[in-house]
Amino acid sequence: MITAEWKPIEEMVGYLRGHKKVLVIGCATCVAECAAGGEREVETLAPLLAMAMQNDGNPIEVKSATLERQCEPEFLEAIAEAAAEADAIVSVACGIGMQLVAERYADTSLYPGVNTTSLSIREEPGLWTSRCAACGDCVLGFTFGLCPVARCAKSLQNGPCGGTRTNGMCEINEDTPCIWRLIVERATARGRLEDLTKVRPPKNWSNSPAGGPKRMLREDLRS
Amino acid sequence: MANNSTADFQPQITLLYCRQSLAAEAKPVQGNRSGDGFSARLVLLPCSSKVQLPHLMRLLEQGSDGLQIAACPEKACQHLVGSNRAEKRIARGRELLEQVGMGAERLGLDRGAGLSLDDLMEMAGQRAEAVRALGPNPMKGV
Repeated sequence: MITAEWKPIEEMVGYLRGHKKVLVIGCATCVAECAAGGEREVETLAPLLAMAMQNDGNPIEVKSATLERQCEPEFLEAIAEAAAEADAIVSVACGIGMQLVAERYADTSLYPGVNTTSLSIREEPGLWTSRCAACGDCVLGFTFGLCPVARCAKSLQNGPCGGTRTNGMCEINEDTPCIWRLIVERATARGRLEDLTKVRPPKNWSNSPAGGPKRMLREDLRS
Repeated sequence: MANNSTADFQPQITLLYCRQSLAAEAKPVQGNRSGDGFSARLVLLPCSSKVQLPHLMRLLEQGSDGLQIAACPEKACQHLVGSNRAEKRIARGRELLEQVGMGAERLGLDRGAGLSLDDLMEMAGQRAEAVRALGPNPMKGV
């Protein structure tokens, strides 16, 4: 899922000064799963913003809604009436959803209520960890299903580096396992450790986000 | 933080209490009660874990001066971890209230077993005292 975290409320207050009618919108998909932007979080944030703005000396009227998805145009129509009445929208969806809202309701100021942070799994209740970096050239087939791009602090393509702690954790973050240790362990368990010594073609980084904005075209799906 | 404190401030406390924390012979009560220098609205819950942040924040947005949760002792929760979950949510809620300038003391949780109506009102009174220093809820009447 795409994960996000609330921005500091103080930052949101700064955005909203001068506005009078605010619509807080969430998304019932990824950001709901990571407890940042689902209905529960929207219905928590909306009254908090009302209280924060009241205490700031800039009272606002706050309404709220949670869309099934903010990243699909069809679902945005559900808030057309509320958006028309608002002079500002706070979105707690990921950056993708926020931008679609900004595009659909271009006459209304849109502010982010969250920072979009990663592509993660919920590892255990209350803990989300990265699993994918959308690098555009997946190597999971070589690395026994463990991603060294998202899960190695150095995104090493051959590892481990010399910094693995004696307990098998990463030298950069003691709470993060060295992914190359796990790759080696999994390869060993499958009796295929020597596969890791094979020479692989260079990774194609030009298809990663660093290669500029992505544009994916499928002629067979176009109307 | 807004300080609207007045000498005659009578805090309005909403007290949400777990049914299981009551004494066996006690009759569950709901509704408004008057205390010494405060008023309390008692709300019965099947378990303290039923409290969710949206409900708590809406109650404060609607003008309640303070919220008090009455939960069972940690080892006595009928749902095993219900009161612990409630406690964590209250801690998070207090952090958020501090961030928005309302003051963490507007929200609190205490544990107890075999409680009577007097015990519940005493808890509400303690929350009222904690809230008194903060003054009336600035959302009152908005």
